[in-house]
Order: sequence, then C-alpha cells, then structure tokens
Amino acid sequence: MSAVLDLVTIVAVSAGVFFFLAGTVGLLRFPDTLTRLHALTKADNLGLGLVALGLLPQAGSLQNGLKLVCVWLLVLLAGATVSQLVAQAARREGSSS
Amino acid sequence: MIGTVGEHRTVQRAAIVRAVLLFGFWTILAGVGVADLLVGVGVSALATRVSLHLLPATPRRYDPVAAARLALRFLRQSVVAGLDVARRAFDPRLPLRPGFVSYPARCPPGLFRSAFTAFTSLQPGTLPAGSDDGGIVYHCLDVDAPVVSQLATEEVALSGVVRHE
Repeated sequence: MSAVLDLVTIVAVSAGVFFFLAGTVGLLRFPDTLTRLHALTKADNLGLGLVALGLLPQAGSLQNGLKLVCVWLLVLLAGATVSQLVAQAARREGSSS
Repeated sequence: MIGTVGEHRTVQRAAIVRAVLLFGFWTILAGVGVADLLVGVGVSALATRVSLHLLPATPRRYDPVAAARLALRFLRQSVVAGLDVARRAFDPRLPLRPGFVSYPARCPPGLFRSAFTAFTSLQPGTLPAGSDDGGIVYHCLDVDAPVVSQLATEEVALSGVVRHE
C-alpha cells in the first residue's frame, strides 16, 4: 500500500514540476507581459495543485493534508486576483504608450 | 420585500455559517489544542465581524450540487489550461495569436462579476484585463478560439450556484 502511495507522490509531484517548468519556459519565451501572465497563472496553478496532491499521501495527518489543500486554494485565490490587476495595468500602459 | 425580522434572520444565519467556517479554517491552521481553540474562538468571532462588514449578508443561497459540479469543471479546465500553456511554451514555432476580446457579460458589475472574472482568469486562454462599455475585456492567447461562447458557458455554470430568494 505504501509503495502505491509513494508512486502516486512521485508521479504527481513530477507532473507538477513539469508544469512549473512549462510556466517558466513560457515566461521566458512569450513575447509580452500579458501572454507571460497566462503562462505563469495557468501553468503554475496546475503545477502547485499537482505537487500538493502528490504530497497528500505523505502528509501523515488529516490536519496536514487539509493544510496543503488550503495552501493551494489560497494561492489560486491570490493568483486569480493579482493576475487581473497586473493585466489591467499592462493594458492601460499598452494603450497609453 | 424583506422586513426587519427577515433581515435580522439573514444576518444571523450568515454570521453563524461564516463563524463555523472560519473556526474550521482556524483549526486546520493552528490545531486542536485547548489553547489553540481558545484563541481560535476569539479570532473567528473577530473575523466574522470583519467579514460581515466587508461582505454584508444577503438572502442568497448556494446550491451545493451546482457548486460541486462547478468545482469539478474548474479542476478539469485547470488541467486543460495548464496543458494548453505547456504546449504553446514548448512548441518551437510558439503558436500564439494574442489579442483582446470584449465579452458582453450579462451580470452587472458587482460581487458576482468579480467572482466570474476570478474564475475565468484560471480558464484556458483567457485573462480578464479590465472592462469597457460593452463588458469585460479579455486578453486571449488565441483570438481565433471560440472565446465568447466558452465564457458564456462559464457564466451560466457559475450563475447556477447562486440562488436568489
């Protein structure tokens, strides 16, 4: 059983790392602020979700597991809020220049 | 019409629900030792007061089945969005057709619209970037994608969660 859980951890965390890498590659390769924001918010949120999911079997207690889920949800909330504000500012700057 | 008794009951119900949720959140963060719980009671009472001040209670109800369905949809769309960005980032040709699309949202500016823009900011290919006279302005990775119809579907899914009484 613990081998199966360890396998879940390895697969999910590796997938999470892949999406963090994809987000970073997008950040470096995409042409402007707005497209880079897409790369960061979408890929990193999924990456963090997968890392949190992969760590759940290793959490040891229900409280630690719920804490991991809360971390992901708070980052989602922050990402969803801040990305809009940055996008608004970038659009205003783009239209005024 | 809502009388003062009805209003009082709305506030009371919202206060109880929020206090229980905030206290639950506190126990996740701080644990369930006696001292933790004692501090937690005070903190969640204070947080409930702040919450009711910032987001006043209204007689709206949430449909749990629709909310669960929306959560599943959100998870599925998050995977699609992540894969979409990964595919574009790793493609040597960098397939992007970025641009702005105006979405004529049916919801008026307010709490629901904020929830809608937050929700859609994590959807594949769309990023809310303010509003104009016509509605919400979205920045898209691919302006040829059927963005407006996709957003309309999301708006219907999200509005199903809130029931007005």
